[in-house]
Amino acid sequence: MDSPEPKRTVSREDASKESMAISRQVIGINFCGPTPLMWRADELKSARELGIIGTLVGSLARQPRQNTRLGRPLELLPEEGRLLADMGRAAVIPDSTNEDPEVNPEQVQQYHAGMENSFQEQGAMALEDRKTTLLRVMTAKHNEDSGSQEDSNGAVRDRLEALDHGFSFPRTAMAVQLCTARAGLSHCPEVRRLLATDWPIPRDERSETRFRVFRDLRRQGFYLTSAGKFGGDYLVYPGDPLRFHAYFIVVCISMDESMPLCDVLAIARLGSNVKKTVLLCSSGESQEDDGEEVVYTSLQWSGMV
Amino acid sequence: MADQNKTSAKVEFGNELLNPSELFEARTRSHKIPVRGQTDFIPTGSDQQRDRLLQSLDEHWNLVSEERVERLGNLVKAVWIPSDMIVELQSPAGKFWQTMGFSAHGKQCLHPEEALYLMECGNLQVFYQDLPLSIQEGYERFLYSKTMSIQHYQVFGHLKRLGYVVNRFDPSSVPSQYERQLNLPQSRDRSGRLPKRKRSHSPTSRHTGTQEGPTSKRMEEEKDCNREEEDKNLDSLPDLSAPDIDKIQTASHAASTTSTEGGQSRSWWSKEGSPDSDPELTGQPQSSPRWDFSSIPFPDLGSRRWLPSSLTSPDPCLLPGAVGSVGACDVAPWLQRLNLREVRMSRHEWERERDRYRRDINQDREVRRCRNWAEYQELQERRIQRSRRDRPAHLWKGPVTPLHDPAQVTSTGELLDKISVIKSTRLLEGASSLKGSEEWRICFNIYQPVTVAEFKKSAPGKPYSRMCVCSFDGPVLDLWTLKLLAFQSGDIPVTYAVVDHGDISFYSFKDFQIPTDVSF
Repeated sequence: MDSPEPKRTVSREDASKESMAISRQVIGINFCGPTPLMWRADELKSARELGIIGTLVGSLARQPRQNTRLGRPLELLPEEGRLLADMGRAAVIPDSTNEDPEVNPEQVQQYHAGMENSFQEQGAMALEDRKTTLLRVMTAKHNEDSGSQEDSNGAVRDRLEALDHGFSFPRTAMAVQLCTARAGLSHCPEVRRLLATDWPIPRDERSETRFRVFRDLRRQGFYLTSAGKFGGDYLVYPGDPLRFHAYFIVVCISMDESMPLCDVLAIARLGSNVKKTVLLCSSGESQEDDGEEVVYTSLQWSGMV
Repeated sequence: MADQNKTSAKVEFGNELLNPSELFEARTRSHKIPVRGQTDFIPTGSDQQRDRLLQSLDEHWNLVSEERVERLGNLVKAVWIPSDMIVELQSPAGKFWQTMGFSAHGKQCLHPEEALYLMECGNLQVFYQDLPLSIQEGYERFLYSKTMSIQHYQVFGHLKRLGYVVNRFDPSSVPSQYERQLNLPQSRDRSGRLPKRKRSHSPTSRHTGTQEGPTSKRMEEEKDCNREEEDKNLDSLPDLSAPDIDKIQTASHAASTTSTEGGQSRSWWSKEGSPDSDPELTGQPQSSPRWDFSSIPFPDLGSRRWLPSSLTSPDPCLLPGAVGSVGACDVAPWLQRLNLREVRMSRHEWERERDRYRRDINQDREVRRCRNWAEYQELQERRIQRSRRDRPAHLWKGPVTPLHDPAQVTSTGELLDKISVIKSTRLLEGASSLKGSEEWRICFNIYQPVTVAEFKKSAPGKPYSRMCVCSFDGPVLDLWTLKLLAFQSGDIPVTYAVVDHGDISFYSFKDFQIPTDVSF
């Protein structure tokens, strides 16, 4: 018999309620310097459902010493964060590291109480676990030996009693959680709405162009990630990047500035080498209205046929 | 034990804190990461695609939402000290101590990035104000400064996860080029002064009492040589016999004692002792030179106009005290040693000599023949034309002149150099004169992944490379920065880690010379 597994089956109703709750929640974004990060797994899921992919940059909890798959936090592009904030789906949580002046005795006491409780429960579970194993082993052995029932039951009872008296669960064997995200009040939605600050909007034209292009492509249903190593601004996927290859490399340029021909050639060459179409994108007049256009030009290397 | 993470299990997201039973069960969690499947190119909207996507996503959320659970006995306890920006260990360090951390006032300490990395690996639990810090708090508190931002940490973590040994770069630990030339044994502790080279007792070494660095020694030796010559002049005058090396030595030593006694620091560059030119002669008071050279007669024995038969006795105050007064000096044996023969020059050379040193324009025959100003100007023109016979006016008079004068002798290599548009340069050329920069600096030393037993923190040896962290958003790397950082790094190559929203690319630059098909 295997050790008991915690059953994680959830009823249909609960599942749908849960997904609705997830979809209505306001995602919290924490800045680490100028970089926007997201920490909670449920919020990462919400963001992905809104089409915001981001990049995982931390060590993976299960296997921290490898680079192929990383874990939380999720680093967002500034455009991704700004889009979420504009949609009203995310809020910037202000940095509170400088505020706490001294030890909070109540919290410390809660922490120690929690640890003690955990220790006791884990000790009890360890004992139960041992007993179950012992029972299993002894039953199997007696089945082989085919001795009398009376003797075997007595022996088992003796061993179990010995275990009760002699078993000790050392403190060092206790399992402890190293939290990824910060626990605290800021995760309560009402508190979060009060705390939230505005998204810091940059003032330069390039960031504005990048944002407009990002928003337009996202509206059309594409998924976007960063493309620095491809020499462009974004990589455009027709679906979730987990399953699909990228179609386009987006390069955002200003409508008015002329682009030197050697730059055009360089990016076109690169695109043809990696089998992706290059999209040169510019945004129209810089007004607040929604109706401004984003102009796309695609580059594809073709031969003389 | 059965794999507990089945792909069909739904993950609960609400609370990220695990209850004791979950913690207990986590001991037997699988440590394998599922392999990513092949990706498609075109979304077809088919059920099969959707199912595969959902399966991938489930796997993904399972991995991402998993929390770190560690046995308390395996965790090292530590405390964050924000005032010093270090983490102090409170229980003995584990295996990581071989390559990370340092000792400070008796305690084992870690830099913030090292502590954060160990927290992410599940080896360390850092407390602040008696409560354990979460990874998020670690990021927000430890990566606050400009020296260790989140980009630096991403590079640090990336390299550590690959197995490299990474520690902070300390500019003072790089040996200077001179030290490398001397091949001094490298010691980690730089607080003690380097051992001084013993000064040998030679005629050129005078000031055995002073302490100075290697570069100033050269300047001083040069000065000593000059001074010795000057002393020789003074001392050899009263000598009647042939000059003797030993005599000079003793005489010069005598001179040195008098001069040091007097506490002189004679500056070679000016009569008044200027303090700037003698920085290394500390401990000797600066004063004006003892001799007024303008009033001491130095006979010119090579002149043809005046040949004295003997030299008068010099003033006793000019002589070293022990010598006393000396008689007149017979010049004849000295003159025999000088070459007083007249130089035989051709007429042309003679004229040139004469013209060079005694230019009286009215003595020029050709000028005398000119009757008026116009003729003189014509003469000048002709002379210029003669000297520039090979330079036609239409080429050389305009604003754009030829790159090269055919009359000048040159080599093919030099010509190629003249017509080149971009001058090639080596990385370290001219790099020593560059001043430091605020935005570009080397952050880390990288050592190759070795077995734990071989690496020693106190004597790590030469790093494999040094790392500079930048991003595509920041300023572009230019030649000036490349040279500056290559110089700062000494003989270790510098690698540039460019961070782009979580993605890291590494670049390095190497010196090479384009082969030219010419023998210079």
